[in-house]
Amino acid sequence: MTTMTTRPGLAPRLSALTKVVEHGPGRLDRKLLDEANTLLQQAGERLKLSSEHTVVALAGGTGSGKSSLFNAISGLELSPTGVRRPTTARTHACVWGLEGAGPLLDWLQIQWRHRFSRASALDKGDSQLHGLILLDLPDHDSIRALTDTEADRLIGLADLVVWVLDPQKYADASTHRRYVTELAGHDAVTVFALNQADRLTKEELAELVIDLNDLLRREGVEHPSVVPTSAVTGRGIESLRSVIATAVARRRAAIQKLEADLHRLEQRLGKAMPLGEALSSPSAVDEARRMGLTDALCDAVGVPAVGEAMENVYAERSNQWVGWPYPRWISKFRSNPLKSLRLQDVEDEIRGITTGSVSAQSAEVANAVQALADGLSMGMHPVWRTAVHRAARSRSAQLPQALTEDLAEVAPQLDRVPAWWRVLQIWQYVLVVAFVAGLAWLAVGLLVPGQLPPALELLGDTAALPWVGLMMASVLGLGALSGIASRNFVELGASRERERLEREMRRRVAAVSATMVVEPVERELARHHAFYTAMRDLSV
Amino acid sequence: MNTAMDDGRQEGPGEQTLSFRPVGDEDPAEGRADGASDAPDAFDAFDAFGTKGRRKPARGGRSAPAEPPAPKTSPTSEEAAASEAAEAAISAEVAADEPSADPDAPPSTEPAATTDPATTDPATAVPVASDERADEADPGAPVDSADVSDALEPGKPAVASGEPADEADPVASGDAPTTAAPDTTALGTTALGTTALGTADLGTAGPGAADPGTAGPEAAAPGTADHEAEASELGTAGPGTGNPDAPEADTADPAEPKPAAPPHEAPAGDPASKESADGTTGAAPAEGGEPEEAGEPEAERPSLFVKPAALGGPGARKKAAGAAPSAEGPSDAQDEGEQPGGEAVPGHPKVEEDLPAEAAETLQSALDTLREAVADLRFGLDLPGVEEARQAQADLLAQLEGYVLPRVRTSAAPALIVIAGSTGAGKSTLVNTLAEKNVSRTGVRRPTTGTPVLVCHPDDRKWFAEGDLLGGLERVDQPSPEAGLRSMVVVSTEKLPQGVALLDTPDIDSVVEEHHEVAHRMLDAADLWIFVTTAARYADAPAWGLLKLAKERGARLAIVLSRVQPRSAEVVLKHFVRMLTEYGLGEIDRFVVHETKVTEGRLPDSEVTDLRLWLAELSVDEERRAQAVRETLNGVLNSFRTRVPALAKHLEGQVAFRAELRGDVEAAFRGALGEIEKASKNGSLLHGEVLARWQDFAGSGDLMRSLQLRKRGRAAKQAPERVLAFKAAIRAGLESVIVAAANRASEEVVARWRHRSELGAELGDGLDRPSDNLVRHTGRAIASWQEHLGDLVRTDGVAKRSVSKLVSFDPDSLALIFTVAMFSGNGEGVPHRLVNALLGAESLRGIGAKALSDLRARIGMLFDEESMRYVQALDSAGIPDESVATRLYQATYNLEVAR
Repeated sequence: MTTMTTRPGLAPRLSALTKVVEHGPGRLDRKLLDEANTLLQQAGERLKLSSEHTVVALAGGTGSGKSSLFNAISGLELSPTGVRRPTTARTHACVWGLEGAGPLLDWLQIQWRHRFSRASALDKGDSQLHGLILLDLPDHDSIRALTDTEADRLIGLADLVVWVLDPQKYADASTHRRYVTELAGHDAVTVFALNQADRLTKEELAELVIDLNDLLRREGVEHPSVVPTSAVTGRGIESLRSVIATAVARRRAAIQKLEADLHRLEQRLGKAMPLGEALSSPSAVDEARRMGLTDALCDAVGVPAVGEAMENVYAERSNQWVGWPYPRWISKFRSNPLKSLRLQDVEDEIRGITTGSVSAQSAEVANAVQALADGLSMGMHPVWRTAVHRAARSRSAQLPQALTEDLAEVAPQLDRVPAWWRVLQIWQYVLVVAFVAGLAWLAVGLLVPGQLPPALELLGDTAALPWVGLMMASVLGLGALSGIASRNFVELGASRERERLEREMRRRVAAVSATMVVEPVERELARHHAFYTAMRDLSV
Repeated sequence: MNTAMDDGRQEGPGEQTLSFRPVGDEDPAEGRADGASDAPDAFDAFDAFGTKGRRKPARGGRSAPAEPPAPKTSPTSEEAAASEAAEAAISAEVAADEPSADPDAPPSTEPAATTDPATTDPATAVPVASDERADEADPGAPVDSADVSDALEPGKPAVASGEPADEADPVASGDAPTTAAPDTTALGTTALGTTALGTADLGTAGPGAADPGTAGPEAAAPGTADHEAEASELGTAGPGTGNPDAPEADTADPAEPKPAAPPHEAPAGDPASKESADGTTGAAPAEGGEPEEAGEPEAERPSLFVKPAALGGPGARKKAAGAAPSAEGPSDAQDEGEQPGGEAVPGHPKVEEDLPAEAAETLQSALDTLREAVADLRFGLDLPGVEEARQAQADLLAQLEGYVLPRVRTSAAPALIVIAGSTGAGKSTLVNTLAEKNVSRTGVRRPTTGTPVLVCHPDDRKWFAEGDLLGGLERVDQPSPEAGLRSMVVVSTEKLPQGVALLDTPDIDSVVEEHHEVAHRMLDAADLWIFVTTAARYADAPAWGLLKLAKERGARLAIVLSRVQPRSAEVVLKHFVRMLTEYGLGEIDRFVVHETKVTEGRLPDSEVTDLRLWLAELSVDEERRAQAVRETLNGVLNSFRTRVPALAKHLEGQVAFRAELRGDVEAAFRGALGEIEKASKNGSLLHGEVLARWQDFAGSGDLMRSLQLRKRGRAAKQAPERVLAFKAAIRAGLESVIVAAANRASEEVVARWRHRSELGAELGDGLDRPSDNLVRHTGRAIASWQEHLGDLVRTDGVAKRSVSKLVSFDPDSLALIFTVAMFSGNGEGVPHRLVNALLGAESLRGIGAKALSDLRARIGMLFDEESMRYVQALDSAGIPDESVATRLYQATYNLEVAR
């Protein structure tokens, strides 16, 4: 694969995969995650072991001639061949150039007694095979293989797999469906040996090779490398050797194999969690969304209503203190419906109601949080969407309570009485007293003029009476005016207070939601972002 | 014959012969072994002939005499056949000499011995051999035959035609008795003996006739096959029963007096031998206690006369024909009560139709019901295993329609032998070779065969071309690329015996997976399975999967191990047989085909001789065939016992699953309702804005203002915005509670579904949020509830008289106060006391109950609407019908009863 070389090295991609695995749990399919873990582990182990050696496995169905090929390539009768099926039950290994191969063979779990070595003494012409570890695998398709996964395991571990096919079995589903279709992208590290070519005539062989090539292409092997061989006549063995020798000499098979594995895993990951527009999803909660959440939570607490209520209640209550007292007194004479219902005490209670504090409505809080999560996770993979929701809700059970408690501190005390109310009340009462005094003067002046002691003579001065009347009227007017004015003051203050209150409440709501909602959500968003960044890095 | 078979003799021999032929692993019939020992020389000589070389010396010995000459010579010329026959006879005699000494009656034994070897050998070896045997038998026959033949002559034509068996039978039987009478004189068993003789004659005649006359032109082997076929017909028609018996008797005689029966059967395969055997068998049964004697005497005669008969050629045939029927007659008679009369005839029909018409009808209707029930089955939900279940259903249906029903309707139909196996195992090559015609494409490409190819005798063609069997496949005459997998090529050839058809199937293990399915469909319709594997493949997992299937189904099975390298044959065979034995299939008929040069898609004929014989036996031996057919059918019907309930179970699983999912929906929304109920009672509704608005309402004096003393008569002055805001707040609060509950319920449903299965997750996809309309609908519902409440307060809430005199109130405000009272839960507090005082406790309770139930109903409707989405999702996936499961169980039960 030429594209492979242009790709960034294996290491960054492996580290990207590590990140994917790190962020994957709970988000990725468990099986896929396991596979990724296995691949990571396998890659780590293989890269640590001898890079001087190339593990080539001969794989295939029973009776295809793996052992015969093995012997033919090694030039020795190392692996017993036979006509009984299945013949080989244990993997045999032959090593060209033993130094450093031990740990690799250990890793492959090849039994000691099945390890053979082609010391250089034996083979002059085998120098190009130096560094080859040739494995003769058991079959993968016999009834024995149903309970033995050795072949499966080693096919996964080998750097280069030579599929040994034969004219009878070359199109078996057991080979193609289970392995070949899975190997798309492994062209560089897969070779197909069409063994037992001696059983066919030349024409038949040609037809068969074409057919096999077609079949492999259909299954996604873009550039199948098919080598007709015959362990019996020795035909094609040399070509196979040279194919293997090339791979061995380049010392790249292990890397290429891992790259191909990685590529395949990446494809599957990509299918399970398509990158798509995932990276354009928000990675943090932006200001607008925070505002939106705060607004919604304020609504849940009823902040605007609280402000309004405060205003109204202040205005109503201030009337008791700073209002013009006369209408109040008059209304007292009006018969109270509650009184007629014998519910006088209710009145006090109604007054008590206004002392109630602020509280959050949990259903509305839940909806607000939900709305935030919905907005953030729109377009996300369902798994992530669920995760974002879960994160948003992670503390929603405590949220209403927290809001209630926090806001209670700033809740307006509706029954509080400002000092200036009292002053104004005194002023009003002073005015009332003045009025009463004027009234008395007027009475005295009108009823008993002249009979007064000289000290009070002035009172009897009828000429002053109009002035007195005028004064009384202005006292009344003054009371009414100051009542109106102070009410206006109250309202002004209340609305200022309301603004302050709302600001404060909003601030607190925002603070609470930041720690209890936004924070966990942002953690999840960050994870989402990191995951897909890793996915992108993996696939680049 | 039935009876004979019942005795168990037949079976014994049959198996032996079969098994021994193919693999040659075990010593075939002990009887043969004996025979072999008796005439060792001859056998050795034959061994050399042994085309297959698989037989062991003992058998070879027996067979040898007959075999070698038979295959080669017989085909060529009648004379040759005759001469062979003569030789055979001689050899037989030779062989007989030794054995003859053993038995009580030397003369009798001799012939018996001769016949036995002859019959057995030929049978095993080749059809031709049978001719020879026949010849041999002839000698014996002549004695009787002289008489018989004359009498029988009318029967000849019948023989010639072959089919007219029925006609022949009566005649034959008629003759038989007569002839028998004379013959029998010798022994108490005479009757039998005579019959035996008669049959022997027939047999001999048959072959003889065949060779010279009919056979003459054709290759010896085919000729014999044909003869066999005819003979079998005859035999089956009348003698059929007799045939099996006969061979047994024959073989038995030579081999062992007592075990005779089993060895006899061996030869059964060859019609000729059977015929001859018939004669003998007839004798054997008759003798009962001492088959040897009976057989021997008869045999003797035949052997002596045989030659002449054989020589006689056409005449002999006719006689043979005549004799055959007669033999049958007697044999049956013997079986039942030694009455030579017409009993034989009734026997045959029995074989053919083992079920009385009534029972068959019941069975058929039971099967019809079953088919309908299976056809009505719908698996809507893609639960794990549903693919398998659907597949199983399709298989079941196809098997019912394509095999079981047609088979039950016409049990006498030809047997369908399906050849299945791995790709590249040589199925097509085998079929081509057997058909002697390139009917199925062969090649090196894998997989080769894509369209099933059925080969049958021309007489059977109608049945296969037009019958219901495998009715789902379109019949075509020529394999073509467009034919594909949904069609079947039907080819007829004379080279195949009647009554058996071969079906070449696609493979079971290639990359083209559709092939596997087609192959299995074919196997579902098979009466017998021939499983073909190769030396390279016999340990493949798919191959054993198929064997396992065959075992499970109880299907009649034969195994062909092909592409065996001669040099490794022994090792491979031994290993394979051991594997088979370990698997409990050691008793299965096995054949070996060596790796040879395949020319024009065919093997050398010598490789398939055994198979051909096996087929011929099947063709001739109607009872065996019928039994095989019945066994397989029984196996299939037995399999219904588990397969149908398994389907029903899956359906029930689906129904249960659906119920569970629906339960999840209901539970979730019931939970949501409960939540709302709770919220409406514990005062949690009166939080947030509602609370603030209430404070506003109360604190700003609006509350007080809403109450007015009546006498003032002044309409209540309101602060409409504030009341409206309060009302809106209550609506919003209620709304949010409902929406939140619905949110939670939706999520819960989806979570539960997901937890249940993948399908649940799939169905719940996109349903984890309430519908977009929910908020709107909720708003509307609450608004109208508030309206309703206002109405209630206005109309029902007629204030206490004492109050109404004093106070008037604003109903809207009062409704709000009422709502607060309702949702504050505890029956205390200002609002409660207020409304209580205003409306009176009773009226309050009434309105409260009505308002609450109205609210519940409205929310219930909302949630019903919501849960409908889930139900619709479920329904769209398909609704399994539980009653079908019941019907399936019922149908299975009825089927069992009908059987």
